[in-house]
Amino acid sequence: MTADEVVAALRTAVPDLAVELRPRKAGVRAPLEVPELWATIGRDQLLPAVSALKGAGPLHISIISGRDLGETIELLYHFAVGYGTPGGEVVVTLRVPVPASDPTVPSICGILPGAETTEREKIEFLGVRFTGIPRSDHVFLPDGFPGHPWRKGDPETAKLVKRTVEWEKRDG
Amino acid sequence: MAEAQKVYEIPIGPIHPALKEPIRFTFQVEGERIRGVDVRPGFAHRGIEFMGLKRNLIQVLYLSERICGICSISHPIAITLAVERAAGIEVPPRAQYLRVIFSELERIHSHLLWAGVAAHELGFDTLLHLTWKVREEVLDVLEELSGNRIDYSIPIYGGVRRDIAPEQYPKVEAMIRHYRGLLEELLDAFLRDPSVAARTRGVGVLTAEEADSLCAVGPTARASGLAKDVRQDRPYLVYGELGVRAITPRDWGLEPRGDVYDKAVVRLLEIGQSLDLIEKCLHEMPDGEITAFPKIPALLAFLKKAEGEGLGWHEAPRGEVIHYIRLEAGVEEPVAWKVKAPTYSNLMSWVPMFRDQEVADIPIIAASIDPCMCCMDRVHVVQDGSPSTLLKEELLRLSRAKTERVLQGLSRVGGGA
Repeated sequence: MTADEVVAALRTAVPDLAVELRPRKAGVRAPLEVPELWATIGRDQLLPAVSALKGAGPLHISIISGRDLGETIELLYHFAVGYGTPGGEVVVTLRVPVPASDPTVPSICGILPGAETTEREKIEFLGVRFTGIPRSDHVFLPDGFPGHPWRKGDPETAKLVKRTVEWEKRDG
Repeated sequence: MAEAQKVYEIPIGPIHPALKEPIRFTFQVEGERIRGVDVRPGFAHRGIEFMGLKRNLIQVLYLSERICGICSISHPIAITLAVERAAGIEVPPRAQYLRVIFSELERIHSHLLWAGVAAHELGFDTLLHLTWKVREEVLDVLEELSGNRIDYSIPIYGGVRRDIAPEQYPKVEAMIRHYRGLLEELLDAFLRDPSVAARTRGVGVLTAEEADSLCAVGPTARASGLAKDVRQDRPYLVYGELGVRAITPRDWGLEPRGDVYDKAVVRLLEIGQSLDLIEKCLHEMPDGEITAFPKIPALLAFLKKAEGEGLGWHEAPRGEVIHYIRLEAGVEEPVAWKVKAPTYSNLMSWVPMFRDQEVADIPIIAASIDPCMCCMDRVHVVQDGSPSTLLKEELLRLSRAKTERVLQGLSRVGGGA
């Protein structure tokens, strides 16, 4: 799998997509170049883009990371395309900004069932909604925990932190 | 349908049979057969990523080391690679080799730990004692090189904190010779033993298709025949030059079936692979600096000015570890930090692995993904709404009784092994 093949596949799904290639050097005697691709796409383009990646080669999702930027929530889908051949995997990160007022994204579980755990984690931590996800209950936080810890200024998380600090002071 | 089997729910955990971390399984059981399972982690969630966003990068490094005791080199390697990528730091060649040596030492002790646990789950305690006795050797070498049996504090942004001194080389080489001599014995005890095969063949199967669609990683995926290894697929450090190849049961001359036996094959063969890698690194490692920033205050000042984002990945003993980090100039703390450990990816693999298996196989199937069983406390059986409690010993007794039955069957058929 080469970076060009993955870019071509992505562009069949999202024409004229701007893709940034950030190759990284690995090794010291005869360094190899490991391709890493980064692209920003809209949430409506997510499903076609992931389908295109799946069509390009064996697809693995490492994780979805994300952060609260205030008015926007940024989700980063970290994929690896084409495992199985030495040096043959291309790391692809799709950046999907969603408005904090309506943080809804289509679930990619229909294409890649292995994404369920990480999507469910984003529901509890960032308050993102995934349409079409098979299950949406909590994975890591207690059932019924009302807050979203990675949201800026989340009052429930603030309460939890305050309580922990008070306990620590008492122990000290 | 006079005797239609009822489906009962058996919750196991969160303090439970086979993993270090607490996790709750709720099994739907029909007679002796498992019909479904619901997996609920989160009982050891400590908010480490959240804590990391309130600390400077050096503190975050040591925090990452405490995510997992057994993988205490894997997380620091992934985070240092991510930060070095984000901040544009070059790692000196010798430090890259040293990181590989420590990673492979960790793989050896982790796989031996798992092999011992697996033997114990099946009721072969002699094998447990042999494996764990043998494991001490690599822990002694790690203690000699780093000062600790786990939590080595070796990687630092820009390199490593300790070198391997010339007088320590013979100790590492002696360890390699020791394990090479023992490996054949371990392979005999595990892989050529008919009773181990009888208890692990066809148990906890994960097909290649399931492993692929569920994005399984590490030995769990390789046992199903997926040649998926981060060291091979997207090289980092000096792994590309060392010629690492993903080990599958094919390397043992078998077509992969994805059962517990195949997972043992992959892990045991990887011990030999790690020995080769350590030996190669010792020979090829050039002299020179071990870090780009010998002074921590200078490193901290550099990182405070850094701006950017980066990914760092590593093949931990149990599979892919990946860290994402984002740095902003003028801020000591990372503005985003996401950690993914291998079990996170393998979580969903349990569902097909447990399907249609026997209750007595729960401990070995749970353990086939990850090793520790010290924390299993009790099993709660709910029958007709009236709960009763099964102790850990009872579940182990079931597993061992099955081994006894299987062994008796074997001796009747083949006249003993």
